[in-house]
Amino acid sequence: MAKITLIEAVTMAMAYELEHDDSVVVFGEDVGPNGGVFRATAGLQERFGKERVFDTPLAESMIAGLAVGMSAQGMKPIGEIQFSGFAYPAFDQLISHAARMRHRTRGRLHCPMVIRAPSGGGIHAPEHHSESMEAIYAHTPGLRCVMPSSPARAYGLLLASIRDPDPVVFLEPKRIYRLVKQEVPDNGDALPLDTCFVLREGEDVTMVTWGAMVHETLKAAEAMAKEGVSCEVIDLATISPIDYETILESVEKTGRLVVVHEAPRNVGVGAEIAAEVAEKAIYSLLAPIQRVTGYDTVMPLFRREMDYLPSTARVVAAVKKTLED
Amino acid sequence: MKTVAKFEIGFEQFIDESGKAVQKLPKFADKPAELIKMYRMMTLTRLFDTRAIALQRTGKLGTYASSLGHEAIHVGIGAAMKEEDVLAPMYREYGAQFWRGVKPSEVLLYWGGDERGSDFSGPAHDFAWCVPIATQCLHGAGAAMAFKLRKEKRCAVAVVGDGGTSEGDFYEAINAAGAFQLPIVFVVSNNQWAISVPLAQQTACETLAQKALAGGFEGTQVDGNDIVAVRNAMENALAKARKGGGPTLIEALTYRLSDHTTADDATRYRPNDEVEAAEKKEPLLRLRQYLTALGEWDDDKEKALIDECKQQVADAVKEYENTPKPSLESMFDYMYAELPEALEEQRAAALAAGETESAHG
Amino acid sequence: MKTFNLPDLGEGLPEAEIVKWHVKEGDTIEADAPLASVETAKAVVDVPSPYSGKIAKLYAGEGDIVETHKPLVDFDLGDGEAAAADQNETAKEAPPEKASDAVREDSGTVVGQMMSSDEVLEETAVVRKKKHQKAAARPKAAPAVRALAKKQGVNLNQIEGTGKNGLITADDVQRHMQSGQAAPAAAGTGARAAAPQPHKLPAGGIKEQLRGPRRAMAQSMSRSRDEVMPCTLFDDADINDWLPGQDITARVIRGIVAGCHAEPGLNGFFDGASLTRQIMTRIDVAMAVDTPDGLIVPVLRDVGNKDGAALRFALNQLKEATRNRTVAPEDMRDYTIMLSNFGMLAGRYATPVIVPPAVAIIGTGGIQHDVVPVMGGIEVHKRIPLSLTFDHRCITGGEACRFFGAMIKDLRRAQ
Repeated sequence: MAKITLIEAVTMAMAYELEHDDSVVVFGEDVGPNGGVFRATAGLQERFGKERVFDTPLAESMIAGLAVGMSAQGMKPIGEIQFSGFAYPAFDQLISHAARMRHRTRGRLHCPMVIRAPSGGGIHAPEHHSESMEAIYAHTPGLRCVMPSSPARAYGLLLASIRDPDPVVFLEPKRIYRLVKQEVPDNGDALPLDTCFVLREGEDVTMVTWGAMVHETLKAAEAMAKEGVSCEVIDLATISPIDYETILESVEKTGRLVVVHEAPRNVGVGAEIAAEVAEKAIYSLLAPIQRVTGYDTVMPLFRREMDYLPSTARVVAAVKKTLED
Repeated sequence: MKTVAKFEIGFEQFIDESGKAVQKLPKFADKPAELIKMYRMMTLTRLFDTRAIALQRTGKLGTYASSLGHEAIHVGIGAAMKEEDVLAPMYREYGAQFWRGVKPSEVLLYWGGDERGSDFSGPAHDFAWCVPIATQCLHGAGAAMAFKLRKEKRCAVAVVGDGGTSEGDFYEAINAAGAFQLPIVFVVSNNQWAISVPLAQQTACETLAQKALAGGFEGTQVDGNDIVAVRNAMENALAKARKGGGPTLIEALTYRLSDHTTADDATRYRPNDEVEAAEKKEPLLRLRQYLTALGEWDDDKEKALIDECKQQVADAVKEYENTPKPSLESMFDYMYAELPEALEEQRAAALAAGETESAHG
Repeated sequence: MKTFNLPDLGEGLPEAEIVKWHVKEGDTIEADAPLASVETAKAVVDVPSPYSGKIAKLYAGEGDIVETHKPLVDFDLGDGEAAAADQNETAKEAPPEKASDAVREDSGTVVGQMMSSDEVLEETAVVRKKKHQKAAARPKAAPAVRALAKKQGVNLNQIEGTGKNGLITADDVQRHMQSGQAAPAAAGTGARAAAPQPHKLPAGGIKEQLRGPRRAMAQSMSRSRDEVMPCTLFDDADINDWLPGQDITARVIRGIVAGCHAEPGLNGFFDGASLTRQIMTRIDVAMAVDTPDGLIVPVLRDVGNKDGAALRFALNQLKEATRNRTVAPEDMRDYTIMLSNFGMLAGRYATPVIVPPAVAIIGTGGIQHDVVPVMGGIEVHKRIPLSLTFDHRCITGGEACRFFGAMIKDLRRAQ
């Protein structure tokens, strides 16, 4: 079995679904012969033809709006937004239409569409290419927002997203596109949406994170293990709607919670998780909840971006804070 | 400097404002019965409109967007389309929708604050009313893309107003339609006013039809108060699209004889004489004059038609008023194909909290 | 001398092929002039020279594969230039995590640089949702109560909450502190139990303030109710095979000994406050005896080391002492397990009540003649009905069943 990177898993999932479902099409800027700016669609047009995989004019609202129109008429479009920072022109289509279509027509029309976008910082990119704005999607009723953190989950969750009868914003943490490889069988098996994945079992502290930050968090958990602290690491995976069951169960066991995300702190998804845990499990908490997040500043350009992103050291410090007496 | 490209925008009219044919009418207009059918639908639409405004003014309907003056455009669109085509309307194309099977009571439900109005009886694939201006142009383009990719002989029709042609989504849709040669017809319903902003302040273009040129396809202007001109242009454009000839933009010139919506007061910004002048050109009057001149229409027929349409509207109002509120839980039940667990709790909480007393009933 | 390593071309691919060298060893090259064309899996990229100087060494030939970050070219720089080049080098921002020499924009991304490695991810990703596998929950307490407990040095694990769903309240913490200050060792005074609310009793009848054994019973039973999580097993011991002359009580005690040998955990104590259990090797059986004054519970010591005759002797002594009310207080304490022979009076099965800190009690019902299905027909056997109550806080159902099974097996033996 081939060992593949996260981005290759994205490609593999799209290829599988293009192969098995005629209603699936892939489109966006530069996704054709160029294979996408990160190569997520590499080889797909060659393999499936220009009617299944095609370049579009340079217009993000158009990509999302076409997806709304196509999906409402029975197709399963996968639109690529080149960078999540360029998705803002598409918000009207995503928020006012994709998210609402089923509700406002009482189910007569719905939008089984996926908008994929590379997200997050840490690749030394120019301005506007490094932000993490998943909270905006999570704040929109009717949308799903999914972010994988490993090749296996990229494959399984993207398949699930394409097959889901409702719109999914699939944010790909581009910093870890090629960070590691993993054996991923190309068997068409989707992973469940709206479900957390427990990546490390532990007894003392629950750590909830997603996307690229999973790696820093696992490193922090490993460091804490050397100090005799057992951390449970949960990959949120579906940013919205959140699988609170797994989180609450874990926090009831450990009594401590650290949420780690790259996105700004203010009104971030971490705040929502902290609020839910406070509402449902405060009596189990042994220490105040800690958030390790990007700062509430404009994402700095790359000479300082690594100081903005939560580091393993910052995560470790937060875990230790929950253990202070 | 040499000229590398040249463009022209045509204007077409068949029946002028005095009800006289200015050129030979297209084939569908040969049969008076077909014209009467269209006149009947325009009349129903107008009487419905009048009644809807009255309902709003008496607290029985929410804000309502009138279609007064636009009947020829709307009914013309409806009459030209096939059932399998898809309509992406803005929010006042009732004439087109009635023609396609949407019930007047469903329009009232929508403006009466009930989502079930958008689960209407017309073709199930038609888009619902679209309030965010011009966004529907992309839905039409997306639908057309689906038809093209699936090699179906179907077309999309997207309707947008004069103000909507300033929106990014309009341009993005025009551009995509041209680039992909999509089977779509854009109808710009140019009623001269975008709420309080007149066309002259909306654009420096001489016509809105010429915006199609930016998309690389034909734009044409018709007299939007002449239903024969509208339907003829629509039929030609749809036939072209169905044959793979790509998109067309039709700018239909009309005048918004009403306020923008019932929440608007056009006398604040619009000269009265302009409205009075426009009223003389309105679409029902000229078709009635034409039919009367043909000997196909008279006062008795007019009175009978009005009575019949009024009854139909009254029945619709009754149906609307007798429809109970949507269930409380329906707020949750159409969010996703399956209710996510995170929402189950909120749904239960909403049911436990029960209905909130409201002045709006 | 300056070594130029093959840069990370941003595509995240671990290697590249040298398609063409634009220089040969000994050539002089200006900075930014084309050095080599290299091919990754995705594109052919021209790599420009990072320095001006003389090519000292090419590390690979055309068609060779070079690993990323491995030497590509050695430059011989002039003295002054070397310093300048070094200065340039340090002025450059190191990209995240991996240093890479600046090259033209790559084809793996249109912007920035991709981190890549051949590291293979081994992970387990467990979906837990829906399983409802409740982990051992921690004591629940409001943050303010936790703060109070922390301030007072109280361990919440030692407190059983009286609030909703076992929530530990501020009162619980206060009570725990008071009881702890009063007598941490005197766990037998029932101080922790909440004082019962007085009932308004109707007029008439005879009022009697409880005294003596009955009063002790009221207190110990309340305490049991407040502390113990009782669970009771029922079964019968078929004594059809008994040889004549068996001493019933002695045999029952011997059965208890057999049970204790199978599961020693039932012979001992449990302190719920500190969540500590204590398993005893010596088996001291308390015999619940009914007297006109109430329940008396004398203790039969070290029954595990007494044979039938010794047991009978001890039992007779006890009976005598009980009848005469001469049982010494110390002979009614510190038993490790209890036996109630209620069946002498009436009753077949019961849910006998444990008096903490003991963890088990056995009740024997009256011996019955039972119709017993046997292979080939029906017989009438004598059977002793048995009831075993155990404290489920510290004893598992399995342990209790094994104890019970061993006891019954021993009771069935002919002698």
